[in-house]
Amino acid sequence: MGPTKRGTNKGEKSKKRKKEEDEAWVYEEEDNETGEEAAVPNAAARDAEKNDQNVIEDEFGSKDYRDQMILKPDNASRPLWVAPNGHIFLESFSPVYKHAHDFLIAISEPVCRPEHIHEYKLTAYSLYAAVSVGLQTNDIIEYLKRLSKTSIPDGIVEFIKLCTLSYGKVKLVLKHNKYFVESPYPEVLQKLLKDPVIQECRLRRNLEGENDDLITQVQEKKNVPNFTSNAPEQSGDGVTSVPEDITNFYSKIDNEEDDEENALETVSFEVNQEKIEVIQKRCIELEHPLLAEYDFRNDTINPDIKVDLRPSAVLRPYQEKSLRKMFGNGRARSGVIVLPCGAGKSLVGVTACCTVRKRALVLCNSGVSVEQWKQQFKMWSTADDSMICRFTSEAKDKPMGCSILVTTYSMITHTQRRSWEAEQTMKWLQDQEWGIMVLDEVHTIPAKMFRRVLTLVQSHCKLGLTATLLREDDKIADLNFLIGPKLYEANWLELQKRGFIARVQCAEVWCPMTQEFYREYLVCKTSKRLLLYVMNPNKFRATQYLIRYHERRGDKTIVFSDNVFALKHYAIKMNKPYIYGPTSQGERIQILQNFKFNPKVNTIFVSKVADTSFDLPEANVLIQISSHGGSRRQEAQRLGRILRAKKGAIAEEYNAFFYTLVSQDTMEMAYSRKRQRFLVNQGYSYKVITKLSGMEENQDLMYKTREEQGQLLQQVLAASDIDCEDERMPGEGVRHAPSGSKKIGQMSSMSGADDAVYYEYKKSNSANKHPLFKKFRY
Amino acid sequence: MADNGSSSTSAVLSLNKFSNLECKNLHDYLRTRPQNILEKLYNHPTICLAVYRELPELARQYVIRILFVEQPVPQAVVASWGSQAFSKEHVYVSKVLSELSVWQEASIPGGLLGWILSPTFKKNLKITLLGGGKPWSMSSALDTDNKARDVAFLDSYSLERWECVLHYMVGSQQQEGISADAVRILLHAGLMKRDEEDGSPVITRQGFQFLLLDRHAQVWHFILQYLDTVEQRGLDLVECLTFLFQLSFSTLGKDYSTEGMSQGLLVFLQHLREFGLVYQRKRKAGRFYPTRLAINITSSAANKSAPVLDDDTHKGYIVVETNYRVYAYTDSNLQVALISLFTELMYRFPNLVVGVITRESVRQALRGGITADQIIGYLKQHAHEQMLQDSRNPLPPTVVDQIKLWELERNRLTYQEGVLYSQFLSQADYNVLKEYAQTNGHLIWSHKEKRTLVINKCAHDDVKKFWKRYSKGS
Amino acid sequence: MVNVMKGVLVTCDGAMKQFLLHLDDTLKLGRKFIIQDLDDNHLFISADILDVLQAKIDDLMDQISFPLAEKGQ
Repeated sequence: MGPTKRGTNKGEKSKKRKKEEDEAWVYEEEDNETGEEAAVPNAAARDAEKNDQNVIEDEFGSKDYRDQMILKPDNASRPLWVAPNGHIFLESFSPVYKHAHDFLIAISEPVCRPEHIHEYKLTAYSLYAAVSVGLQTNDIIEYLKRLSKTSIPDGIVEFIKLCTLSYGKVKLVLKHNKYFVESPYPEVLQKLLKDPVIQECRLRRNLEGENDDLITQVQEKKNVPNFTSNAPEQSGDGVTSVPEDITNFYSKIDNEEDDEENALETVSFEVNQEKIEVIQKRCIELEHPLLAEYDFRNDTINPDIKVDLRPSAVLRPYQEKSLRKMFGNGRARSGVIVLPCGAGKSLVGVTACCTVRKRALVLCNSGVSVEQWKQQFKMWSTADDSMICRFTSEAKDKPMGCSILVTTYSMITHTQRRSWEAEQTMKWLQDQEWGIMVLDEVHTIPAKMFRRVLTLVQSHCKLGLTATLLREDDKIADLNFLIGPKLYEANWLELQKRGFIARVQCAEVWCPMTQEFYREYLVCKTSKRLLLYVMNPNKFRATQYLIRYHERRGDKTIVFSDNVFALKHYAIKMNKPYIYGPTSQGERIQILQNFKFNPKVNTIFVSKVADTSFDLPEANVLIQISSHGGSRRQEAQRLGRILRAKKGAIAEEYNAFFYTLVSQDTMEMAYSRKRQRFLVNQGYSYKVITKLSGMEENQDLMYKTREEQGQLLQQVLAASDIDCEDERMPGEGVRHAPSGSKKIGQMSSMSGADDAVYYEYKKSNSANKHPLFKKFRY
Repeated sequence: MADNGSSSTSAVLSLNKFSNLECKNLHDYLRTRPQNILEKLYNHPTICLAVYRELPELARQYVIRILFVEQPVPQAVVASWGSQAFSKEHVYVSKVLSELSVWQEASIPGGLLGWILSPTFKKNLKITLLGGGKPWSMSSALDTDNKARDVAFLDSYSLERWECVLHYMVGSQQQEGISADAVRILLHAGLMKRDEEDGSPVITRQGFQFLLLDRHAQVWHFILQYLDTVEQRGLDLVECLTFLFQLSFSTLGKDYSTEGMSQGLLVFLQHLREFGLVYQRKRKAGRFYPTRLAINITSSAANKSAPVLDDDTHKGYIVVETNYRVYAYTDSNLQVALISLFTELMYRFPNLVVGVITRESVRQALRGGITADQIIGYLKQHAHEQMLQDSRNPLPPTVVDQIKLWELERNRLTYQEGVLYSQFLSQADYNVLKEYAQTNGHLIWSHKEKRTLVINKCAHDDVKKFWKRYSKGS
Repeated sequence: MVNVMKGVLVTCDGAMKQFLLHLDDTLKLGRKFIIQDLDDNHLFISADILDVLQAKIDDLMDQISFPLAEKGQ
């Protein structure tokens, strides 16, 4: 690549950056594509929030719902309030908390779950999810009534009816390799069949057409898979008084989930396999979205795979619960399971695959994750190398005859020319009828890419896994209909309390800007400002102080910097190894291995490539020095790096630390707060540290004198525009395919599949090898 | 001498620290009364008893020891009663007793100074302690009230009346108004002030602070402010005070006759009735019931022996979450109004209010004169029992920190009006002026090498004179 | 001889001082208002600018604050 090309890129880049800066306050996250909208039922657009548009505000500015909610005399023993706008407030200290919590998770979205009172919200999607796991309209309303301290506003009852009556009534079932539209409600099927489009899709085997009747069948009692968990749920904590109507109903609902369909009479008609997509779309338009269920036990055409869970694979209660939601009726439901990072998502995925026991396809977002998933399969199940095929730009195992294929989203959606070998694999992959498709980190993938994956690959059931299903993003809403409803979402604080994830002390460290840096900050243009607040000498000193402090404690520390200039400067100055985009695979592995096993290497610096492109080893301290974007997802994900619970560390109040260093009086403060919001709503609290005790006494911290600080300022001012930017993730820019769409570039390189992107940097960088690692070279 | 600085003073008003609510206890109040008032007050045994009870323990000892001594006791003798280690306390209580005119200095033959109890105080304290004298004027010789009110009724009545006043202060619309008299007291007390535009009363900084006080302190403060105005109303301060003290010693749930009360006292009674200190079914009912607000009004809250105002409404009801959410279990408009002083309210349910503490809501409170500590104190004082499970931190520490940080953020800069002296001709000149300003406590900033100093503005004239004298001399 | 000027002594941290200098340099308040730069933590300024200045500082703080809590969606 010639210098000219780079030059143009630079111009475009900084323009783009500028735009992003300006828009940072308006847009959430990065995904604001304007692709075609997913087909969603009209009911999904309903919003209980609109119910209260006419509500009066009281004199103090709050929405006054008092006359819509009549307090029950025994309100003290009931745990929740349901507001007319669909928001639900739950007392976590109520004796019936557990009952109410399980129920609310099924029917609503958590808004925030701190210590005492949790907020949930009823949405069209959440009710859709409730119906799809087997809850029925009347049960939902009845149970909500019983749990509530007040009467349920009429609007809410209406809303629940509207959103649930037509949902979940019709299923698309694949059995004996024929597709059926199935329902326990003959009248619903009759209604659908009146539609000409659906007529078209119906497959009539009897050519005479004399028999237009539906197929009636009695469903046998299902074999619900048993998941073993290591901590059986406790039952009967009945010291406190629980209103009887709540306990009775709870056990009813809890059981129902398992055997609701015992000897249930259903009617169905067969569907032409080629018209599956048409009928799905049409049914959504007719307000009867088809729930995808896979009756894997009755699938005799697709061969079983010989994979079982190892006896050592013991599920935790919440993992077990999430799987019960998925396999509750003996069939596999499609949907999304939300668990915090480090809470064992992959075991859930592996267990699901071992339950379905049909060919499994696992999609993840980087080559490193592919390796990781393979390891997880080998650890938890009886699958061996011969059964697991990796399909990435680096590893192309022979796919034929494999049971489990692990690949990346970008490998599947790649539109550029593939190697012959890859082409063959792709073809094979597309020819398969996959039993289950596991979609890792679903939230990171644009909806458009999903749609592409789903049209390329056929699978009977889809399981999405994620840590942060950020609800404000409409695109996530699309996932509800592309993959399926959210089946389960864990409570972070609860997992933390029960020791399943580490107890993290989050802290925001305020570093005052030095006078000189702040003076420049005030007059600089936007891009340079970033560099000034990241390179603030007081921040450098605070970082150095924290690193020392934790090294003395024997902790393992990872320092994140999105800005490469700062990353390199900090790391080189402090003589610590660092990894960023251009770091070669070999060097990355070496650094990571050393961090893991070499007691002398306790701190590493990484850029944001570490977020997605490789698996970070365990650490218990995380320091962010530059995290410019306001991405709440990134924040949660980074926290996840230190959440893997440490055994035996339970005695300490906190066993992990998450610091974000911000330069005071700069925009960084706002970005930082914005990033924290998701975790704050999960019950995390960020301690603001305005002064690190003991830092002043540390005589030998760098950049102490004004002279040194002045030199640093000169370096910062001399830095180029490129230096001021955050690291470009491969594919983020407009580097290749000038005629093609921007998205294509993104996808092809999402996994780091095209290493060529970094080619231009590579040579210049190899000289910068960390001295500590020279001696570990082979 | 050049004086070319800008000399606008109007804008500088914003520099002056706003005065905070000053809460006086009984002692503070009485010692600022004129001697003759005190003398009159001590004619009433009740008042002597109240004053005696509120004295520091050591002072009570002294009073009892010399109660029956008919001549002055040498001051040195009194001082010798305690050990040297407590001389500080001795000095303090001596001062208190003098300020309250409980005792007076008297010379003893031989030139020594001695202490003797004020005759009126002595006489009437003896009566309270030993009995005798006239019955306290609140006679209870009454027929039984056929519509007698019980304590629960009186409690709810007094609460409702008192909250009326508070409601009025916070501008709550849902309550009946209060009398013009009461409004005048609020204005007089500086708890409210007339709006500059429409003249309607609006709450002041001190008013906000007042609202966050506990009930007993509120009533006491309010009554003191009221007493300030009684003379303008043509009432007799001593008479009113005496009555108040009698009320303070009366019995809850018992009715007292209005017979024999002067016209002035009857007016006073009506005021107390409005604020909920006494209950009367009708204005001319001929009898009244003191309520909990009046009982023990003269004893300070710190005095633990006095039964503290039993206040059920003050059971913890506020939950504060780490994500700044505030949930208040209440249906009281007043409590909601108080929370809304520093919280942005979102929803109102029959028994719960949902809100969130935001930077804006806290800054609004800070601008209104409420301090971060007062907000935190209020939240702590009313923390829900669930919050108290972590006994170290009844409130999430991050929220407490943040409220304080928001306050600090407003105080990043401090301003002092001053006069800058620079360009001294010699180091000696500089040194002389600096020395002078420093010894007189006027210097607020100085720099030797730059030969520049800043003095407090209020000392400007003084320093100017000094400088002129000095310049002429040299 | 000596030079005498009335005004206001401002005590603040280094960053705030830079902010004031910046406002002065760029005439953000419509005019110069700093009479003398005393040291790292002190400035001497015109008294009549205070209210405008305080408002400007509030603006700065508003800019760098982001709502911590969501008020529901």
